[in-house]
Amino acid sequence: MSDHPLAGIFSVEASARRIRNYRYAEERMMRTLGGWIALTPELAPKLLFGRHVWDCAQHADLWGRRLPELRAPAQQSEPANARFAAFMDLLDGREARHETVERIVGVYRVLKPHLIATYEAHLAAANPVYEPPTRRILDRCLTEERRHVAAATVVLEQLLDSDAKRRASEWQTRLLDALADSGGVTGETPTPLLATEVAGIDGSGDVVSVPAAFDPSVIGADLRPILEEHCRALIARDVARLGEHVAGERRGAVLGVYESVPAARTCEIAAQAKIGAHRLIKIRLVGRSGVSVLQLQWQQRAGIWHVVEAELVRVEPAA
Amino acid sequence: MERPIAYDKLAREERFVRKRARDIAELRMAQGLSPMADLASRESIRERVHGILVGELQAMEGAGRTVCDFPDAPWEFTLDMARQVWDESRHVEIYLGLLEYLGGYVGEFAESTILWRCACAEDAAARVAGVNRGLEGLACDVFNQLIHIARKIGDPVIERAVDFVLADEITHVRMGSRWLNELTKGDPDRRRQAIAFQETIDERFNLGGVRLDGAHEEVGISIAKEARRLAGFTDEEIDKLVRSTQRSPVY
Repeated sequence: MSDHPLAGIFSVEASARRIRNYRYAEERMMRTLGGWIALTPELAPKLLFGRHVWDCAQHADLWGRRLPELRAPAQQSEPANARFAAFMDLLDGREARHETVERIVGVYRVLKPHLIATYEAHLAAANPVYEPPTRRILDRCLTEERRHVAAATVVLEQLLDSDAKRRASEWQTRLLDALADSGGVTGETPTPLLATEVAGIDGSGDVVSVPAAFDPSVIGADLRPILEEHCRALIARDVARLGEHVAGERRGAVLGVYESVPAARTCEIAAQAKIGAHRLIKIRLVGRSGVSVLQLQWQQRAGIWHVVEAELVRVEPAA
Repeated sequence: MERPIAYDKLAREERFVRKRARDIAELRMAQGLSPMADLASRESIRERVHGILVGELQAMEGAGRTVCDFPDAPWEFTLDMARQVWDESRHVEIYLGLLEYLGGYVGEFAESTILWRCACAEDAAARVAGVNRGLEGLACDVFNQLIHIARKIGDPVIERAVDFVLADEITHVRMGSRWLNELTKGDPDRRRQAIAFQETIDERFNLGGVRLDGAHEEVGISIAKEARRLAGFTDEEIDKLVRSTQRSPVY
């Protein structure tokens, strides 16, 4: 190719097609992150997704508004091919409560690094004389996508125990295979580019400082001992002892709930909420068959705490 | 991706305790308390702030679902909803900070999911009517009162932070009014249903006489007429809301 300053790699039509491809990726990513917020229990990633939905929306909007300048209809998204759409389907299908790590890996270790690398390559190749409108958008998207990846690295680190590391690695490999199969966001790169390193980029502005997990010391000194005893009785399935802690008129109903709780080996107090003088205590029981979460309502009667209501909130089978 | 999702898919860390709004109110009243925390003491302000925190969380989650659930809606609608997600995420951060400032902790009070349920309406027009006009309108009332009380007790931290949140909420109500009109253009049935949905929410959140037209110190939640006007509610709509507070059943 000529090295003349007015020589260029991309035709107007090819530019418009690439931009529709970018818009497809940014728009779908925006919708995916938006949908995941409610499905993600952990506060830090929930808020991370919340921070980035608007940035992705603006990227999609900028690309969409550039299109008429390239003789193409405004605000149109187009996947490069059906395999890239399938890659996005695969990525956004991780909706289960326990799949936060997979959600972060999909967007922040695969899709965004791929977009960064693709935008970088496009920026390097776009003609500086007649393509500045595209270059400015690339520049802005790059700055923000790099910041997103840097922020997610901090958030993901907090979630990665050994099992999560294995899952993250397996999921990343599977997604990269699907991405390679599609030829990437433009469908033109058999080995899709990936820029996972964002050293020197400060993503801290996108990371909300979330208070540490529940501290059982907030539970009153008068309730704590009987609560711990109750936990021990739940593990031992000591119905007589449990019954002593339950208000008389509620004994049948509460013990009935306990009967449906699978056997547990450990019991952890996970939360305390106040409603006036009542205390709602959440207990997490872990056994061979999985995790059970119980919510107990405690009320003080004649100076002694009693359970007045019990609800089995959730049972999660062991992996 | 599943669209829309079931109410009970709303995911929370274990430290949150969920309870039906009606059960919380009844349990409070059985103890001689008002159905929801007032603003009479630092402790009750903390409880109110915690309630707002979970409300903001649900507002962020609801707006996020709206971005996700309606891919065929006008692009500018999606842009507004995406912007709202970002705004709500900042509000969550602000209220996390205010809760800590007031000596509270996340999960200290029970969470009801009534706001989230409103945000799960299947029609986009109903969602913006119910959430952006009904619930964000309620937020204008609540925040305006909180700002007033903070000013009165000489707390510039709460006053300034919440004032910026109120500015955002006014913007969200405006978005709701715009999209209620645009999404239902030429479809009076859809419009009527969306408005009826908003009115059930307004009625519900009158909380059996907690929300009233009155002085900030004298009523549970005072209707923020000026903020509502700024947000684009007409005088007729405000009068209608005031009238509805006078006939709400006991919670």
